Amino acid sequence: MRRRQGEDHLPVALERRRLYILPTRGGLAFTALLFLMMLAGLNYANSLALFFTFLLTGFALVVMQQCHRNLLGTEVIAAVAPAVFARSTGAVQLTLANSSAAARPLLEAALRAGTLVSADLPAGTQRRIELPLAAPARGVVRIERVRLSTAWPFGLFRVWTWVHTPVTLLVYPHPHGALPIPAHSARAAGARSQLGAGADEWVGLRPFRDGDSPRQVDWKAYAREAPLLVKEYVQGASELRMFEYAQLAHLDQEARLSQLARWVVDAEAQGERYGLILPKLRLAADRGPEHRHRCLAALALFGLEDTAR
Amino acid sequence: MSGAPAVPAPDLAALRPLLWTCAAFAGGVLLHADRVPPWAAAVALLLVGWRLLTAYRGGADPGVAARAVLALALVAIVLARFHTLNGLAAGTTLLLLMAGLKLLETRGARDQVVMVAAGLFLLLAACLDRQDLARAPLYGLQAWLSCAALAVIAAPATSARAAMSLAGRALLLAVPLALLLFVFFPRLPGAFWAIPRNDLALSGLSDTMTPGSIGKLATSYDAAFRVQFLGPIPPPQERYWRGPVLHEFDGQTWRRNAFDLRAPVPRVHVGTAYRYRVQLEASRQRWWFALDTPVGAPDARARLTYDDQLMGADPLNDPVSFDALSYTHTAVMQPLEPAAQHQDTALPASRNPRTHALAASLRERAGSDAAYVQAVLGYLRDGGFVYSLEPERLGPDAIDDFLFRTRVGFCGHYASAFVVLMRAAGVPSRVVTGYLGGEWIPFGDYFLVRQADAHAWAEVWLVGHGWTRVDPTAVVAPERLQRGIIDLLPQELPVRARLLHASPWLMQLLQRWDAANAWWTNHVVRFDYDSQLDVLARLGIRSPDARYLGWAFMLALCGWLALIAWHLRRAMAPLRPDPLARAYARLCRKLARIVPRAPHQGPLDFAAALIARHPQAQAAVLPLLTRYAELRYGPPPERAEREIEEFSRDVGRLSLARTVRDR
Repeated sequence: MRRRQGEDHLPVALERRRLYILPTRGGLAFTALLFLMMLAGLNYANSLALFFTFLLTGFALVVMQQCHRNLLGTEVIAAVAPAVFARSTGAVQLTLANSSAAARPLLEAALRAGTLVSADLPAGTQRRIELPLAAPARGVVRIERVRLSTAWPFGLFRVWTWVHTPVTLLVYPHPHGALPIPAHSARAAGARSQLGAGADEWVGLRPFRDGDSPRQVDWKAYAREAPLLVKEYVQGASELRMFEYAQLAHLDQEARLSQLARWVVDAEAQGERYGLILPKLRLAADRGPEHRHRCLAALALFGLEDTAR
Repeated sequence: MSGAPAVPAPDLAALRPLLWTCAAFAGGVLLHADRVPPWAAAVALLLVGWRLLTAYRGGADPGVAARAVLALALVAIVLARFHTLNGLAAGTTLLLLMAGLKLLETRGARDQVVMVAAGLFLLLAACLDRQDLARAPLYGLQAWLSCAALAVIAAPATSARAAMSLAGRALLLAVPLALLLFVFFPRLPGAFWAIPRNDLALSGLSDTMTPGSIGKLATSYDAAFRVQFLGPIPPPQERYWRGPVLHEFDGQTWRRNAFDLRAPVPRVHVGTAYRYRVQLEASRQRWWFALDTPVGAPDARARLTYDDQLMGADPLNDPVSFDALSYTHTAVMQPLEPAAQHQDTALPASRNPRTHALAASLRERAGSDAAYVQAVLGYLRDGGFVYSLEPERLGPDAIDDFLFRTRVGFCGHYASAFVVLMRAAGVPSRVVTGYLGGEWIPFGDYFLVRQADAHAWAEVWLVGHGWTRVDPTAVVAPERLQRGIIDLLPQELPVRARLLHASPWLMQLLQRWDAANAWWTNHVVRFDYDSQLDVLARLGIRSPDARYLGWAFMLALCGWLALIAWHLRRAMAPLRPDPLARAYARLCRKLARIVPRAPHQGPLDFAAALIARHPQAQAAVLPLLTRYAELRYGPPPERAEREIEEFSRDVGRLSLARTVRDR
């Protein structure tokens, strides 16, 4: 389909120009029924049959406008796809808002080849819809557009539009591999090595970020109406592991990436500091969700950078 | 399925579309319940119940083979009953049964939509069948129910109330368009194909008469036709409405001479000319009722037979209205044709010997045919005859039995006996059936003639006068000329009819109801191409034709569409933000001139970004943004409204010009 309106810069409110509307199969059947009723009414000059034909025709036209109204003016606030591991199912998270005084029931969203997900959008609300997206292999899945539609209220018409908002789903390698996690490497200069050796040391509180373990949340503070805070610990700089692509020479490339991903996930889960050494890239040892994402993203895009960008 | 152990409780919410589908279909079935054979309606409703039960209890549906066998069996039964599958009654019955079977295999939303369409199709069939005013609201309900069912099928979470209100609102919005289209959508001047539909009998006069057959109509309160006089109104004793004229008598039954295409005899009309308009109800019969002797056929749809009946070209499947001119007396100078003479003096041989003897003796004493007529009337008047709706059964020599034994009879008996006496004496005579009288309806200025007004009288040929009307009933029960059966013989009518008649208040209500029905028939049911041209002419379009109708129709459509769009847009108007949000929006608009707020920035983030770029604005802006954050997200202050008002005022006072100048 041609992009009539070009690429959309979210947030965007759906305007009249970009909505398409056609009768559904049920609507076509209804039209055929109306045609038959009209023929019968005209042929027999039967006033009541004609009146009900006209009444139902008017009904269908009202329904068409109601259906159009149900989508018109809906705001698409955001479309993001959080990274997932290969062989799982990711999702495009679509945030829709309804700032009108009437509810917008049964809005449907779909990716090009995906299943339809429907949601009600009450008046003056915002809602996130998750559109499942298969992530079979590492790399990126690019979605160029999302289809929004609705057949509410009577299923006789369906109005739809395409939101051209590119969404990239980053797919990490499937974390897999039985090799033991490499031993601690030699001391390297880490960002927080000044804290010295020792067991976990409490550093302080920082705001909650996506991916933080619930066990680290300071629930007591939260109960006192403080914002959601996370207790931060730092381990000794001695516990530092570097994962090297080159070390896994006996495996093929995908198996190597899977093994590295496994190590990254495990090391992060154990709260250790780790780094990654790839042929063209070196990520210094660190920890935390952002670091984990950096490492996994590097693995995901390994060898694909040229094609993906 | 009764013994199924512990079937998991069905999800009632998931059954709702099916439930509504069944309701819409059952509604369609009920519209025909009194028209199709009772077993067919019962089978259709049973199928609905079965489908719901299997869905609810989780039992097994019948397999494909069982359904196929059932379908074939039902088709066979319908064929055996109607001898055809064509025609409205047979077609409707078949549709009921087949759609009921289809219901058994409904699975998804698509099947359910098909079933709702079947319900709407049944509505169409009901419209084709009957268009009574009393039934119109039922049809409306069926349309409403079907639309609501569509809403539930499309969105199963819709509650019953929400579905009805959604459908009701959409239908109400559609009513103006429906009315406009009804008036302006170009109609066809004629039909292009017809389905046979004379398979349904209605009560009313038929083309045969046994002495007791008219009495059966006496309890029917249904309207036969309505008459509006456009000039003088005939006196009560002249209000004879001619129906089938019967010539042939076999000793029991009088019949029409159906295939006689002779032209009416030239005659002189005597007395007052009556102009009037008749609105005939659908009778499924071909005769049109007119005042005694109509002058020619009123229009091309009917012809005048030699015995002065109006015969329609087609059976009256729909109400018909016509204008006619009649006289109640005629004179013919020429003699009766021999063929007619023979036909109207014929009697079955060797029947009713005593009647023949009586006729011979009375004719002998009377000097002329006219005197003989008076003699026979005198005999009936003075012979102890009783007028009654419930006479005894008569033997094989029915007329003898009546004249000399029972002496109790209804108009049919008297007309029959009179004509036999005339023919026995060689006087040509015939039985005329029709209606006598009519009830004046003041609310519509017309006479309502009911089936109960059915009557039979006689006509005799008198040389020099021609056919002369004689009503033997009038000498036995002279009041019959003035009043209806119900006034005359109340004790012989059912309680219901008597009750209706006893209360003047109820009577008036009935009359008003009939006036409403008359209006409905006249202005709605019979609204056609000519009525449309009338409307256009009244709107000032001088030479109306179909093109003007088309333009009017397009104009109406566009106007209505614009109106609906406006109405719906109002419903979808943006939510009006609260005062605090409005004040904040105003503040952000003001600040946008130096730094626009990014959508993701909260008030405090925004303040930080703003101060980073314009430190000198801190004093003016930071307190406002902080106050907004507190008002919006902090614990609610004690006098919130007051504080919001103050905040709004301070936003208004904020002057960025000074801030910018300070830079």
